[in-house]
Amino acid sequence: MKAFNESRATKVRRQVLRHFVLGFASILMIYPLLWMVMSSFKPDELIFSDPTALPTSFDLTSYFQGWFTFRESFTTFYMNSFIIAFFAVVGNLMACSMTAYAFARLEFRGRKIWFVLMLGTLMLPYHVTLVPQYVLFLKLGWVNTFLPLIVPKFLAVDAFFIFLMVQFFRGIPREIDEAAIMDGCGPWRIYWKIMLPLSTPVMATAAIFSFIWTYDDFLGPLIYLNDMSQYTVPLALRAFVDSSGGESLYGELFAMSTLSLVPVFIVFLAFQRLIIRGVALGALKR
Amino acid sequence: MTSVSTNPGGRSAPSTEGRFARIWRRNGAGYLFLLPWLVGFLGLTLGPTLASLYLSFTDYDLLTSPRWSGLKNYEYAAFYDRRLGKAIEVTFTYVLWSVPLKLTVALLLAMVLDRSVRGVAFYRATFYLPSLLGASVAIAVLWRQLFGADGLINQLLFFVTGIQGPAWITHPDYALSTLIVLAIWQFGSPMIIFLAGLRQVPQDLYEAASMDGASGWRQFWKITLPLLAPVIFFNLVLQTIEAFKAFTQAYIVSGGLGGPVDSTMFYSLYLYLEAFANFRMGYASALAWILLVIIAIFTAIAFGTSKYWVYYEDEQR
Repeated sequence: MKAFNESRATKVRRQVLRHFVLGFASILMIYPLLWMVMSSFKPDELIFSDPTALPTSFDLTSYFQGWFTFRESFTTFYMNSFIIAFFAVVGNLMACSMTAYAFARLEFRGRKIWFVLMLGTLMLPYHVTLVPQYVLFLKLGWVNTFLPLIVPKFLAVDAFFIFLMVQFFRGIPREIDEAAIMDGCGPWRIYWKIMLPLSTPVMATAAIFSFIWTYDDFLGPLIYLNDMSQYTVPLALRAFVDSSGGESLYGELFAMSTLSLVPVFIVFLAFQRLIIRGVALGALKR
Repeated sequence: MTSVSTNPGGRSAPSTEGRFARIWRRNGAGYLFLLPWLVGFLGLTLGPTLASLYLSFTDYDLLTSPRWSGLKNYEYAAFYDRRLGKAIEVTFTYVLWSVPLKLTVALLLAMVLDRSVRGVAFYRATFYLPSLLGASVAIAVLWRQLFGADGLINQLLFFVTGIQGPAWITHPDYALSTLIVLAIWQFGSPMIIFLAGLRQVPQDLYEAASMDGASGWRQFWKITLPLLAPVIFFNLVLQTIEAFKAFTQAYIVSGGLGGPVDSTMFYSLYLYLEAFANFRMGYASALAWILLVIIAIFTAIAFGTSKYWVYYEDEQR
């Protein structure tokens, strides 16, 4: 009986210790973000006087002023960001799923070689294609348009999504498409009516990551978009740092930074399980 | 392969359809589905890769056509470009500190989370969130303020110890460390992968080990680490490549200049500046190829040594 009690006590002690470690780590992880959100509601002079203080009032001045700091308002920047992200998601889903279907299910000469090359592009650092791609888009007259940020997605340049979808398609029983072939379905119908409807989890995962990565992308817009009317949200945030050295517009900068995280945060809250599964999937299903 | 017109002996082909039609019937659908990717691969990956290799042997300023300069770019990179030396030093320091520390923290917390803890989903989400937000300019902006002269870090430091901290972000000795801290803060995605890996370790191994009186420490070294080796390997390669590619953080934190005194001049940032601020497109291409070789060497070392420390369960040996 005594032994039982002891082991119970150690168990409880372990649980408490675990929660202590985890709780402390959570606060450490979240505090910088909280600080930014709290600061965005404070007048500038209060931001740096007390790091722990909650805002005394929900002062939205920084938000109004931040939204209209530049020649173009954030309405334009958000519109631009969402337009680019929307087409990127559509493009990635269409092109990557078609490619993945071909690799996972169709027989054709050279399939293995193309597949190996596709996997090879996963390892290729973007630096290698950066300059020639820029030259190509410049010669096409696409610089200062959204095309360099959108068109590549319709050409399945994100091999990671192809890889993810191939893994998923391979898990769908072949008997299903064999039966469909018996019924006279061609590859297009099998892809459209069977594979895609059965693949909503992986499609949703690809869509979520595609959205977040495009929305957060900085280098692409930095290189291809020069006119402020075409700026995306990240470029506009950078403009704060450039124009003021971040010295005088703290409140506005924090307010707009906080707002810029909201779409990603909403997506995260809504699809947390899919996102977390998506991260693990690539690593373990080999 | 014989050509279409030859038909030895005048024997009829097995089917009446032509050679082209037959090839089409066998391969057409596959290539039709593959078409978008093929265009992208040839036009946006393979083509540019070859073009980049060519450009790396030229002088090219975007306005006049590329002029062949042989090995000049590579010679300059190897012997004269002191800034490149600094960029490599900065990038290596960043990779060698951030990756192991990040993976250690990730593994540690994955192990704490792996045991049944109430509120696992909450903790997991909290730890993952910074990874998800990490690539954004907002986080880089936040970091710039956190480690500023009167930022949160110094306020807390003063509050707790009474010491007035330096302006981390604008101090050449500390600026890079703040970026390493940022990278470690984003340990979420390797943690998720570790967690998934830990779930696959058979629990009866631990029970058997406990029966034999093996301590927790011993179980970690003899069971957890070896069985997790493939996942550690995967995370190591992935995070190393990611770290070599880091750009946004360095750009924002240093205001796009890699300062102070080049202390945050990441390789990617240096390449960007050479290409798009100095318009030395040929030299930037050479830099890209040097980076490709560096990453390839790292990956080769990882894969080469992996057979000594990574055991796959389903492996025949």
